[in-house]
Amino acid sequence: MSDVPLPVVDALLLPPRVRDLLRPDGLMPDREGRARRLPRFFYQVDSWQQALSCRLTENFALWEFMDVDVREPQVLREWPRYVPCAVTLLAAHLELFREAVGTFVHISANGGYRSPSHQRAPAANPHCWAAAADIYRIGDTYLHDRDTIDRFSRIAVDRIASLNARPYGHEAGTVDDHIHLDLGYLTLVPREAGSEDEPKQQRAEVSEQLRSGAKTVVAVKEARE
Amino acid sequence: MPVTGLRRQIAQVGKDANTEAIAVAFYDYETRTGWSVHEDRWFHAASTIKVPVLLGVFDAIEQGRFALDSRVHVRNRFLSAVDDTPFRVESGRDANTAVHAALGKTMKIKDLARHMIVTSSNLATNLLVEIVGLAQIQRTLKEHDLDGGIEFNRGVEDEIAYEAGINNRVTAQGLLRTLRLIEEKQAISADASERMLEILHGQEFRSGIPAGLPDEARVANKTGEISTVAHDAGIVYLPNREPYVLVVLTEWQPSANRRHSTIAHISRAVFDHLMEGDEDE
Repeated sequence: MSDVPLPVVDALLLPPRVRDLLRPDGLMPDREGRARRLPRFFYQVDSWQQALSCRLTENFALWEFMDVDVREPQVLREWPRYVPCAVTLLAAHLELFREAVGTFVHISANGGYRSPSHQRAPAANPHCWAAAADIYRIGDTYLHDRDTIDRFSRIAVDRIASLNARPYGHEAGTVDDHIHLDLGYLTLVPREAGSEDEPKQQRAEVSEQLRSGAKTVVAVKEARE
Repeated sequence: MPVTGLRRQIAQVGKDANTEAIAVAFYDYETRTGWSVHEDRWFHAASTIKVPVLLGVFDAIEQGRFALDSRVHVRNRFLSAVDDTPFRVESGRDANTAVHAALGKTMKIKDLARHMIVTSSNLATNLLVEIVGLAQIQRTLKEHDLDGGIEFNRGVEDEIAYEAGINNRVTAQGLLRTLRLIEEKQAISADASERMLEILHGQEFRSGIPAGLPDEARVANKTGEISTVAHDAGIVYLPNREPYVLVVLTEWQPSANRRHSTIAHISRAVFDHLMEGDEDE
């Protein structure tokens, strides 16, 4: 059992209405067209109260990475909800960042985990792995000008080698009203997670359920057989 | 007072206040009659456009795209209708601080809708326009046959669009029709109309139409004001009588004052006219 008091689920075994939106283990192209494999193991969160009370680090609670708006499909806003297990590593890195800046770090709505079905996920980005955070405010400072964004982004990447930050700008892949920190396309498989080699029959069923629309499904099947 | 007298009186009020233009339209449910002057003249809509946006929001809810309790990320970053250049709503220019205070968090659509109307929050308006979609709001207006009197082309405070001449415009007739649809429970649905009316009743800006009325009057209204226009459009409820819908649109030199009192005077003139029971033209 990990320190996170939540069950770990294999999202390939979730009901189709949820699984189709989470697309576990599927491939998703990033903005440059490179295929990225989506996470398969998620924490199951049964209520907002549970998300509020579940502390991942001293200063970050799970709810901060789950606050999404209407752009996330309704099914994924219903309970139980699912968050990729990498969220714990993200929180740990943000804790280091918080130490470096010496004050509160505020993650924006839609700024933690966003599913690959979220309206702001046209291409793979580390948010879909729960490996990215959009921070709109640090202490009392709102991050909406170049100097502030550059300064805090620099602190993050200089102090914590594994963190990436997006540059200031107005185009896709840049930021102008928050800082974006991420760990890349990071997946985490907790020790208590189920086997990654599920029976063929189960895989075939998953493939069948997802086949209609998705190159990702074909990729999953090919990758495993 | 006969209607010719009303027309003269309105013209005189406008002349005394140095208005550039005035349009007035009303419809009285008590006598089932309407009256208007310059009802088809186009004006910059200013914040009166927020009533058509409200229609678009409730239409999207009716379509099941989201619910009143759905949450929206409060983010002060929008793209110009001209060239997708990002812009922000200046908090110092916005009448509402509550929505700005929620930056980075989420707010319910029903709360954003209320702030858009009762305190005329520009930030709430742009968030709702973004989530509903400009084209969707335009479709809603067309489906309600309002596009002949209301042109919705962009969110608010889009300075690049303003400089390019892309604006939201209304006629008195267009706003009158919009409010009549709401009062007659024909806007989207009966339930949606009632909810919109409830929001309009919460209006906090009362220096236009309501200021010209007796204390017992209740008004569900929406004002709009920029440097060159000042408007008010509302539904007036009085004891022991059916309501009437009144729209007053005015255009001004940027340096002009007495805007609100002029609208209040016109509101009073219409009230007096209706209470005297004269027939309409």
